[in-house]
Amino acid sequence: MNLSVALSSAQSALSATSTQSSIISRNISGAADPGYSRKMGLTSSMGLGGVKVVSVGRTADTALHARMLEANSGASAQQALLQGFETLARTVDDPQLNQSVSASLGRLTDALQMQAESPGDPVLGAATLSTAYDLTRTLNNAAQTAQGARAEADAAMADSVDRINGLLTRFENTNRAIVLGTQSGTDVSDELDTRDRILTELSQEVGISTITRAGNDMVIYTDSGVTLFEKSARVISFNRTFAYDAGTTGAAVFADGVPLTGAGASMGIKSGALHGHATLRDEVAPQYQLQLDEIARGLVHAFGEPAPGGAPGIFIDPGPAGPGLAARIGVSPDVDPALGGDLGRLRDGVTVNFNPAGDAAFSDRIYAMLEALEVPQGFDPATGINPNTTLSRFASSSVSWLEAGRQQASQEASFRDTMLERTRESLSNVTGVNLDEELALMMELERSYGASARIISTVDTMLQSLLAATR
Amino acid sequence: MSIYGTMRTGVSGMAAQANRIGVVADNMANVNTTGYKRSSTQFSSFILNSQAGSYNSGGVETHVRQHVTQQGAMQYTTSTTDLAVNGNGFFVVSDAGGTPFLTRAGSFVPDGEGKLINAGGFQLMGYPLADGDPNVVVNSMAGLEPVNITQNALEATPSTEGVFGANLPSNANIVPAGTLPSDNVVGSVFEAKSSLVAYDNLGNEVVLDVYFTKTAANEWEVSAFDQADAAPGGGFPYGAGPLDSQTLIFDPANGRLDGASPNGLTIAVPDGQALAIDLSAMTQVAADYTVMRADVNGNAPSAVRGVEFSSDGTLYAVFENGDRRATHRVPLADVRSPDNLIATAGNVYAVGIDSGDVTMGFPAEGGMGTMVTSAVEQSNVDLADELTNMIEAQRGYQANSKVFQTGSDLLEVLVNLKR
Repeated sequence: MNLSVALSSAQSALSATSTQSSIISRNISGAADPGYSRKMGLTSSMGLGGVKVVSVGRTADTALHARMLEANSGASAQQALLQGFETLARTVDDPQLNQSVSASLGRLTDALQMQAESPGDPVLGAATLSTAYDLTRTLNNAAQTAQGARAEADAAMADSVDRINGLLTRFENTNRAIVLGTQSGTDVSDELDTRDRILTELSQEVGISTITRAGNDMVIYTDSGVTLFEKSARVISFNRTFAYDAGTTGAAVFADGVPLTGAGASMGIKSGALHGHATLRDEVAPQYQLQLDEIARGLVHAFGEPAPGGAPGIFIDPGPAGPGLAARIGVSPDVDPALGGDLGRLRDGVTVNFNPAGDAAFSDRIYAMLEALEVPQGFDPATGINPNTTLSRFASSSVSWLEAGRQQASQEASFRDTMLERTRESLSNVTGVNLDEELALMMELERSYGASARIISTVDTMLQSLLAATR
Repeated sequence: MSIYGTMRTGVSGMAAQANRIGVVADNMANVNTTGYKRSSTQFSSFILNSQAGSYNSGGVETHVRQHVTQQGAMQYTTSTTDLAVNGNGFFVVSDAGGTPFLTRAGSFVPDGEGKLINAGGFQLMGYPLADGDPNVVVNSMAGLEPVNITQNALEATPSTEGVFGANLPSNANIVPAGTLPSDNVVGSVFEAKSSLVAYDNLGNEVVLDVYFTKTAANEWEVSAFDQADAAPGGGFPYGAGPLDSQTLIFDPANGRLDGASPNGLTIAVPDGQALAIDLSAMTQVAADYTVMRADVNGNAPSAVRGVEFSSDGTLYAVFENGDRRATHRVPLADVRSPDNLIATAGNVYAVGIDSGDVTMGFPAEGGMGTMVTSAVEQSNVDLADELTNMIEAQRGYQANSKVFQTGSDLLEVLVNLKR
């Protein structure tokens, strides 16, 4: 060891310390960024002549990050589902206004009972007609809302697919930079942060799992195992359906040629906003639509003449036959004076005349209708509601079904959100920047820098005294 | 004894010290020259025959010693083409005329033609790896060529091998024959699918669809298709049958592949090479389909983005897509007596009779030192040593000049005896 070596060692220590200081300043500036992970300068002494920052390390916890991605996907799926439930709940919301089908049905029953007291009163007849119109309008609106919710979900899926494709393209660029940087030994820690951020955004749209290969190359699969990214981004395709009615089946989202959503998806995704929207579009909203259709069908059935289910009564299906009766159901024009009908037919029967004598106090038909409402009917078990029940019970069960679904989605969403928060917190505790630690390290570096500088000045003094000896 | 002789002795002493000063000056001038090895002066006495009663003063002879084997300190740099040797050995360089030399000065930079040139203007020599491992002749520099880091053509590597490992859900439904993926019919049923990117001879990306279908208890069919043949929108039926299809048999005792089962796919990549995909890591346990490993070699055409040396002397070209390919291997040369090499301008040494013959080897092999990248070896000159030598030489010169002066004075006395 001689003086020149001492000088060059001190010099290398200075440059290592300054590199480390710059890393600390990066850490401090990234302290407030949740996607930033703490960086460290890894130093190594090599042979004669000091120290060197060999590489920039980065704190990471892959297991925790994977948990965070999973929680994120779960939370956003529930959030999307909750949003859909809330749209559907608009059909039953606001108990003051009593806009639900069940309430309208109740008002019709009340109006019929009033009319039964004095069947010949045209004012009461008009009131019954108005409540009947009210009921059909409510059903029509509810069906429209349900289909609107599906169209909205469809649009949200299209947005989600666009975002996924965009994120995968960004991922491709970042991944390439990381692979390249890793191979050539440059500092890729910032790109790794970016890649994790993209994964976090991606997990919001769709549940994912990842594998890291040689050279820091990453492969992304959905939570069901469909390839999303492997060397290059796979195409995620989706054909939007703009208008929905009860008979419409929305198109499936395809990734790498495999359907991710829909009934035929053998590798269907299990979480992410895309999953939430697809569940709403393909399961929840169609089921609600089916319930509305069954209510409408039950109405037409109960008011049929002469026995329930016979010739059309007050409520008619203008056709064509098929799913989506709730959207079509109307009031028979035969009872509406405005359409050339006769209000008296409410009392006497629409198709069949039950009161051939024209008795003004004839109330048998009205009572028969009221009774028919209280007779249990066989509803479609696919509605998910007790199928053997009366129309009014069925209608109120539908409301409960919706509310229960909404409540469950809301609870699940808040649970998932909490879980996500907790996971994020743990991840931040592990990989985040601790300012105290950074400042302590900074002081340590300051001392070390000072010591190295002192070595240089000491060697300088020594050489100075030697030079002074040469005259 | 003669006064003339004494004066000559003084002159020879002065000349010796002048030599020493000269060596010190050279050392000090090269205190920051990369790879410079300091020299020092050794003196030997030159004595004339003397008889009793009469002394014939002789003189002093100067020998210059080179301290080539003394290691210099490493100075780390940010250039990946800066090299240093830690331990024995020299880089082989050649001048523009092709004459080989040895050097420790490793601050190489690419010139306009892509050759790596050090500060002395010498180009780095290495073995090309284009045709496989180099044939090293241990005692000769045959086979070496200037290392060139530019690449004139974009290069693609077709895929030849890959690995795929995943878990197949043991409780999956059994798919009857007739609708298996290998039947390639509309509505072929599969349990799981993954795709892998492979490269053909020209570096086109070929996406391979790999389907897994349970055909019987513990038996799975695996079929690979070219995604380009897929039906519009993806999936079955493909325009052509499977590239390969195998039936994997799993051991019900542990869920791993049975010993008798095929454990790989051999896929003829369209317009490419035969690609062997190792499936031996596949498992079948009661869990969801999960991919554990997936990798296929090969790369798309890509330009060289940079080069990097590894510590064993291999020069890798780093492609824009991140792949690396070894292009040259830089050897180290050593001689029996490095201190007796003939120093030539430009920090290089020529092999001479005194140094012994050259021995070729690779870094960290057979007694050679290791190669350190992104570092250069500083000169092994120590300023303090040189300054003290200088002071010593100065005093020695002064003393010798006094001898000369005294001789001159004596002669003057002698001359003045006669008036």
